[in-house]
Amino acid sequence: MGKPTVVQSEDRSTPGGAFSEGYVEADGFRIRYMEAGHGPPLVHLHGARGLRLTPTHDLLSRQFRVVAFEMPGFGQSPENRRTRNMADLASTMAQAVNNLGIDTFNLMGTSFGARTALWLALQQPESVLALVLEAPAAIRPENAQPPSGSPDEIPSQRLYAHPERFSSGPAPDPAIWAKTGPLVMRLRGPNRDADLEHRLRNLTTPTLVLFGTVDGVIPPEMGHLYKEVMPNCHLVFVYDAGHAISTERPEAFTEVVVDFLERHEAFIISRTETVIHP
Amino acid sequence: MKVSYFETARYLAPRNLPREWPVPPEAYDREAGAQAYQGMINRLRCAEELGFDWVSVSEHHYSPQRLTPAPIVAASHLAAYSQTIKIAVLGPIVSQRNPVQVAEDLAMLDNLAPGRLVVGLLRGITGEYLTYGLNPAEARERTTEGMELVLKAWTEPQPFGWQGRHFQFRTVSVWPRPLQQPHPPTYALGTSRESCEFAARHHLGLGVSYAPFEVISKATRYYREQCARYDWQPTPGQIIYRANILLAETDQEAEELLQKQRSGQPPFPLRAGVRDALLTLDSRNVAGEARVPNVGGILPTNFCGGPDTVVDQIKRCRTEVGAGVIDLMFQNPSAGNLSFLTRSLELFGKKVLPRIRGL
Repeated sequence: MGKPTVVQSEDRSTPGGAFSEGYVEADGFRIRYMEAGHGPPLVHLHGARGLRLTPTHDLLSRQFRVVAFEMPGFGQSPENRRTRNMADLASTMAQAVNNLGIDTFNLMGTSFGARTALWLALQQPESVLALVLEAPAAIRPENAQPPSGSPDEIPSQRLYAHPERFSSGPAPDPAIWAKTGPLVMRLRGPNRDADLEHRLRNLTTPTLVLFGTVDGVIPPEMGHLYKEVMPNCHLVFVYDAGHAISTERPEAFTEVVVDFLERHEAFIISRTETVIHP
Repeated sequence: MKVSYFETARYLAPRNLPREWPVPPEAYDREAGAQAYQGMINRLRCAEELGFDWVSVSEHHYSPQRLTPAPIVAASHLAAYSQTIKIAVLGPIVSQRNPVQVAEDLAMLDNLAPGRLVVGLLRGITGEYLTYGLNPAEARERTTEGMELVLKAWTEPQPFGWQGRHFQFRTVSVWPRPLQQPHPPTYALGTSRESCEFAARHHLGLGVSYAPFEVISKATRYYREQCARYDWQPTPGQIIYRANILLAETDQEAEELLQKQRSGQPPFPLRAGVRDALLTLDSRNVAGEARVPNVGGILPTNFCGGPDTVVDQIKRCRTEVGAGVIDLMFQNPSAGNLSFLTRSLELFGKKVLPRIRGL
């Protein structure tokens, strides 16, 4: 484990203070990323709302070299009309990681980005040490309708168990979703993707799936399906969290993720000390 | 209207006991204890024969007043000595227990007494926090989280981890699963806004207790409003009202016994300093309206009179509270002798039960 990084900003309202911005070329895209920390690499692929640093990024960067990408077509990047499907996007992101000189890494995907992460792991199983899927969107209820508007329009009570604790922030720029929306719609794939699920049956990468118990975007009842499909998968419910687990319960999220990344399946062995007075 | 008989394993002390909680264990009389547990089975059989729908038990500690500190142990004993009556565990104090263990114990009982288990989950009355050293400030949150974990442990098809605020488990995979699917009929017990909201959100029943109809009906009304918010409507059977009953042959006899009882002291009060401190640390409400916690005080007698009067009171309860289940604690005003209790139980079975069935 690398030496711990001093995290400059632990302020919940402005997370990511210790992260520095970089760009990497891949597949003809110029891809922005935010990076902090030392230690084993941990690559993060964001959800459909784009890259947003959370207190969890700060906490994870104490033990990992965290590289959080802004995937092409999201945020301030130019419109992406080239990427045809999720497998394409995964292959671009694999190249981006590789071009940073990272050979093997832990991979974390959030919601939409969890689906990208799964495709990436399927394409390069030897590079991915372990997978963390935060409220993944790779398996959705059969009758689920795609969101009618931008993910920024999702009511905050579906993202958070306690929306009153989070400020809504500056109003999102509608121009961004006008550009990103078609990409997300093109890439999100079917609710149940038989091909993807078939491939996942042979993916032996240690995988941790996390769902908030009150996720209002993807029902936490989807969690067990990953376990049924993937041979080396663990499911954890984060109590009293909505879809945005890493924003809502960063300490709880980080603790189990770090433990899993360090110990993989042995993370079920407790290390909690209960001695009160030795 | 369904009727539940609340059984507490009545302990008749052969000598005077110290009047304080906790009661020293050295005062326990083994012979009296044996009789208490035998009496429990006798009354169970009587209640089952008389046609009571449920027999219920609760969790209380460190005193002879209710000899069921392990309600699930008591319930499985009752289940083994009965055939048809439902066994209502009302309930394990979730705030001070391991929720996974609660889920396992109850799931096992649901299989041992096939289809007969009814479950109530609760925070516990204020004084109970002293039993296992629970911080009163954490009791409510631990209860809410614990109840959610119990439900998850019963229903999740795959092993899962739980990253809670108060509980953490890396792997939960309960065997046996409950026999009743998705789980036994379950009630959140309490009058608070939080209990009502929890019950509504999880499509559970609500169990309320002891307060007068006009107070209790605020909670049940709030519960129904919350259920409507979640697009469903509870049946009357999803509301339990636990109440004290003093049933005698005539109104006059019941009234005299009630007067006699009122002059008594609470049986095992807490020391004043403990009681006062708890009053400042615990917060309680009825549907959001603050109320003073009951710390060792005497509870009201909600049904009192001869059979006709009690039938009328139960009818009022059905209309005003909306309860479809009454869980009855039969008062025993003549300490030192249980014959009055048995008599009222029989009186209820013969003169009251047939007249409230159709409610």
